[in-house]
Parts: sequence; structure tokens; C-alpha cells
Amino acid sequence: MKVPFTTQTHQSPNAKVRTTSFNEPKSVLDLVRCSSPSPAVNKPTPKSEVSALSESLFQSDDGSLHSEDQILNNLEDWDSLMRELGLHDDSARIPQFNHLDSQLLPEFPPSHSVVPTDFSLSSDQFHNHNFNSVALCNDFHHMNNDDFHFVDDLIRAADCFESNELQLAGVILERLNHQLPSPTGKALQRAAFYFKEALLSLLTGSTRSTRSSEVVQAIKAYKNFANVSPIIMFSTFTANQAILEAVDGSMLIHVVDFDIGFGGQWASFMREVADRAESRRVNSPSLRITAVVPEEYGIESRLIRDNLNQFACDLKIGFEIEFVLVQTFEFLSFKAIRFINGEKTAVLLSPSIFQRIGAGFLNDLRQISPHVVVLVDAEGMNDSGTPSFRRSVIDGLEFYSTVMESLEAASVGGGDDWIRRIEIFLLRPKIFAAVEAARRRAPSWREAFAAAGLRAVVLSQFADFQAECLLSEVQVRGFDVAKRQAEMVLCWQQRALVATSAWRC
Amino acid sequence: MYSAIHSLPLDGGVGVDACLVMTSDPKPRLRWTSELHERFVDAVTQLGGPDKATPKTLMRTMGVKGLTLYHLKSHLQKYRLGKQSCKELPDSSKDASCIAESQDTCSSISSSARIGHDLNDGYQVTEALRVQMEVQRRLHDQLEVQRRLQLRIEAQSKYLQSILEKACKALDDHAAATAGLEAAKEELSDLAIKVSNDFNEMVPSLSEITASLENKNASNLATRFGDCSVDSCLTSNGSPISPMGAASQAAALKKRSRPFFVNGDSVPLESSVRQVEWMMTNIG
Repeated sequence: MKVPFTTQTHQSPNAKVRTTSFNEPKSVLDLVRCSSPSPAVNKPTPKSEVSALSESLFQSDDGSLHSEDQILNNLEDWDSLMRELGLHDDSARIPQFNHLDSQLLPEFPPSHSVVPTDFSLSSDQFHNHNFNSVALCNDFHHMNNDDFHFVDDLIRAADCFESNELQLAGVILERLNHQLPSPTGKALQRAAFYFKEALLSLLTGSTRSTRSSEVVQAIKAYKNFANVSPIIMFSTFTANQAILEAVDGSMLIHVVDFDIGFGGQWASFMREVADRAESRRVNSPSLRITAVVPEEYGIESRLIRDNLNQFACDLKIGFEIEFVLVQTFEFLSFKAIRFINGEKTAVLLSPSIFQRIGAGFLNDLRQISPHVVVLVDAEGMNDSGTPSFRRSVIDGLEFYSTVMESLEAASVGGGDDWIRRIEIFLLRPKIFAAVEAARRRAPSWREAFAAAGLRAVVLSQFADFQAECLLSEVQVRGFDVAKRQAEMVLCWQQRALVATSAWRC
Repeated sequence: MYSAIHSLPLDGGVGVDACLVMTSDPKPRLRWTSELHERFVDAVTQLGGPDKATPKTLMRTMGVKGLTLYHLKSHLQKYRLGKQSCKELPDSSKDASCIAESQDTCSSISSSARIGHDLNDGYQVTEALRVQMEVQRRLHDQLEVQRRLQLRIEAQSKYLQSILEKACKALDDHAAATAGLEAAKEELSDLAIKVSNDFNEMVPSLSEITASLENKNASNLATRFGDCSVDSCLTSNGSPISPMGAASQAAALKKRSRPFFVNGDSVPLESSVRQVEWMMTNIG
């Protein structure tokens, strides 16, 4: 059944380009992506595949695509989002349609539907497929739009926040409430749900405080998370290795941890420290941790203190942990923390502290002469420059749906309940914090690091091997480790999840 | 803009598809086919030789999808080592057998021993030994890493288990009925204090308290109570609540106090209620 479409005229310039500039599409959505007009090539967050793809595409495409310049900005965002979101990764997902619907949604320019004939593949290859490719593309596109219309709305809502049209934002979010009533469906949908909730909370200004029952759920979720996904282990062990190497040999170790989580990382660290001392037949060093925590962290702090104390006692390591409130630190910077002469200091950072108080305190780092500053970015803050609120929301949506997808990959098909719990108790708070921080336009950490005079240090071979080893242990396929400048990055399907780096003053 | 982490699209000619061949192990490893190796060598030459080439630039130049920096790193290292061992050969009178033996580290030592007494002899042996030691060291390191990783994972898991247990226990303790009881007791003491403090403020404060009580307790509990107080407040027009009204409120309080308690321990609450009653009746 052929569906008539009117856009035959758009094809020829593109067709020539396609031949040489890119790979076979893995799915229909690739076709959509390729034909999309994206006038601005300098997107703030190019992911590797897309950037290369778009570069090769648009270098030769300028002639035919200038007319698309008038297209709304959100189209390019939409496209980058769709492309990035792994909607291309499973060709089995191409749906089989029972009916055809040739209606195209008005937002998209006609060229979007120019898909198969644009394509470099020989017509033979196309006829090998069991469907009418043209119709399918139209249809898929239509379904696409229907299913993911909420993304569009979410972006519009973000726009409203930026332009301070809060009432309009409220209206859009209300509509979104109907489209996204609960965190179900595909990863993107679930991520969108949480982002919608986060945007709503910006409007209502509600704050959440953890109750002890929630803490239990969160710890359980964290434990599951650590078991099924390499994300946590990669983050903690790579950081630990960098810190160990820097403070090795010292009898007094002091770690300033800005994102202690549940403290599991330090149990592992202590074990390592004790083992090393034993194998060298020297006394164990003593470890001091200063954790900078938010106000509402009372219950967790107590638990962490008790458990780490216990752990240290079992390992016979001198141990002490102090908690400093973020508010205090914001006010006093490193003067809020006690330092002792003769100890080797390591600082462990994550985007969460930058989200709360900005990155100005980095300038004070030199005064405390840390032996190493480790940054673990598990929140997709890969940008340089200060992105707009809308950009942050889009990037965040992309990032968290990737994380959720990577979790799903670990699912054995049985109960996905544990995934939901991880999303609710671990990811949701992060999403909320990210949205709030984006609202405040927190500056990029990368610039702040450079401004503070921090130089990146290459991670050791041990860290490399460890990461490789970790991945081989993991049951889930699709994870990868790569190096990007001086960072070690854990990727899932070539999309960055965690970036760890070590710095020196 | 960051350089690509992995997989760049193909830049091959029309119809050329350099696909990576993976082994069929459970964990697929890359197989360096001769075609792929040829591409590699081309790229290396293009970049100015094995010493000038880096995994990153190679990846860009080769443009093979799925080829990661890790693949290239190890392959480049092997290539470099192979090249190095052969570097001295053009100067010497050695033949192809030497090239072969430098690649094969196991036999290199014994074969090297049979080689003539050229200056490069010693160098060959050293090179071969070095390569062998390098390989062994690497293996040893990797095993060490694996071992350490296991211990680290174990430590973290053990810790998470224990913190979970402690958190559950704390939650159980906390969830005892006494928690709800304390809250209720406090609320009623507040009520008593407020009643006794300022008579004129009794009207609004009562509705405040009932409102807060409403929030804290079961809905069916507080609604009637709330209505009661509001009604009596309204009807009295700002004048002191009639003893009847107050008494009925206190009675209502008393009646509704039962559901607070799970254990049936109502003594302290009763006394507060009685106190309220007394105060209320005395106000009129």
C-alpha cells in the first residue's frame, strides 16, 4: 500500500550526500534523523556518533537545507534527543503496522517524510524488507510524534521557565500530567515523568525531606543498583584508586567527601588501606573523613557514622568521621573543615556540590594543598559553558533515560519493580536537584577547574585494568570504558554515563 | 567539543563497509583480520609512523565503527614492539628469520643465541627479553588488579548489607506506636497550654490546633471535632466559648482519644484531657 507523499522534490541533493557520508541505518529512525534539518551545527553537547554524523552530513548539505533555517529551535533538540535515545539501537523495534496513516504532523517540515528514497541504499535492499518503507516511515514518524509528544511539551515548559512565563508553564505541565500520569512505559517516558515532576516542584516550591522508611528503601535500591550495574562500582573504585595512589605511604589520610552517598566507598577504601599496610608489614594509617552533607541528611549521617566506625574497628584502622553542613561550607569554604598538619588530603567532588553552591570554592583549594582532587561526574554534566535551562532539561532527559535503559538491560525480564525503586529513590532526587540547579544556572565545573589552576592527571594503568576487569565481570552487555582527554568514561552503548578524572593543584 | 569516544562513521568509498569481525566467544573479542590490519598500517603510515601515531588519531583516521581506543592501544603497542625489534635489522645482515623470531618471544631467546656475533645480537636478545617481561608483567598486573577488585567489591557489599540491616532495625524501632503516641500527647499539651494562656485568643487558636490535629490524625477522627470547634466558635461570635461548647469539645477530644492508642495505654492522655476540661469549664 503506497502512501502518497508530496515531497519528492527534496530528495536529490540529499541523495548524493548520503552515499558517502554515513553508515547503514540501523533502523527507520536513522532515516528520520538523517533527513532532519539542523542548521546549527555547533550544538553544545555533541555526542560522538551524532556529531560526526551531523558534521559529515551538513558539510555537504548546505545547499538544500538552508530553507529549513526557519524551523523552530526545538526541532533540532527534538532530533538530537530522538537520535541519542537509543531509539535506533534495536531494529527489531520497528513496529509492524496494521493500518496506514499518512497524516503528517504540522510541526515537522515535509522533508522529514522524505526518507527511503533519500537513502543511499540500493532499491533492492529496500525491497528486501517486508514492508513498504515509505509508508512505514510515515507511519513510524507519526507514531513517533504521538508517543513522544510529551517531550515536546516538556521542552516548551522548560522554555516557559526560562522566559519566566510561569503561568503558561503551569498550564503545559498540567497537560503533561495527563500524558505522563505515572512513571511507566519506556525509559524516555519515565525520565520525562520525573522531569515533569521536577518542573512542577519548581512551581510549587515543595521540598522533600527524607523519612527513615525512605532511607531504608534508598539503601536497598542502592544495593541493587550496585549489584546489577557497573555504574556505582566504576565510580567508586576508579576514584578510590586515584586517591590511594595519591596518599599512599602516608600515616594520616584525610578525605574531604562532598557526596558521600551511603559511605560504601570508604569501606572499600579502608579495606584496601589495611591490606596494603599488612602486606608491607607496617602499621595501618589512620583515616579521617570529612563529609559535607545537606541539612536533611541527618538519618543517613548517623547510619554512615555508625557503620563506618564499625567497619574501621573490625579492620583495626584508626578512623574518624565528621559531618559538615553544606550551608556552613557555603559560608566558610574550607575554613569550615578541620585540617591537621602532616596529613595527606584528598578531595572527592561530584556535580551535586556545584549544583548546590556553585564552583567558587575551588579557588580555595590551593590553600589546603590537597594531594589529589577527584571528580566523579555521574550526572551527565559534560558541558563546558553554561547551558540554557532548556538545554539542561533536554540533556538531563537524555542522560537519565540512558541510565534507565542501561538498567533495563540488566533486567532478567521478571520483576522490574527493583528498577522502579532505583528510579524513585536514587534517580528521582538527582533529577530534582539537577533541575533546580539548572534553574539557578550553575556554571560549568570545567571552567571553574581551569580557573582554579587545577591540572588534570592521567589515571594509572591500574585504574585502566580495573575498569576493564569490572566490565568483564558485569553481566550486562553494552558497557564500555573509554578515555576522553584525561578522564575515564564509562559508557553504555557509546553514551557517556560516568566520567572520572583526577586533578592536582 | 570532545573528540569522539568511540565509533566514528565510515568514511570508506562507495559501497565499502569495514565491519569489525568479532569472535564468537561469549564475550566477543575483536579479531584483527588482515583487511583491518592493512587499514591500520595505512593509517599509521599516514600519521607518520608507529611512534607518531596515537590510538586517538588512529581511530579518527581509520574511521572504523566499533573500534575503541582500547583495541587500538593494544594493537599499536604490539605493532610498535614488533617494529622496534626489527628496527636494527636493515643495518645488519640479518634475514627474515630474525623478524619472525622477534614476534615470537618464546623462541626468540634460543634463536637469538644461534645468531652470529653482530653488534645487534645483544640488542636483539635484550629486546626479546624486554618484550617477554613486558607481557608477563602485564599479565601479572592484570591478575593483581582482578584480585584486588574482588576484595574491594566484597568490602563494599559487606558494608552495604550491614548498613541496610542497621537502617531497617532503626526503622522498626522508630515505627513503634510510641512515636504516634508522643506526637498526640504533645498536641494535647499544646492545646491545654494555649487554652490557659490567653482567653481571647482561644477562638482562633483552637481552630488552629484542630486544624493541625486534623492533619496529623485520621481524617474521620478530626473532621467532626474540627466542625465542632468551628461551629461553636462561630456561634459564640468571639465571646468565650460556652462551657457547654467547651465541655462538648473536651468530651469529643476524650472520645476521640481512643484511636490514638494501640496499646490501650491512655492514662497520660486522659490526664491532659481532664486538664483541658477543667480549664475550659473554668473559663466560662
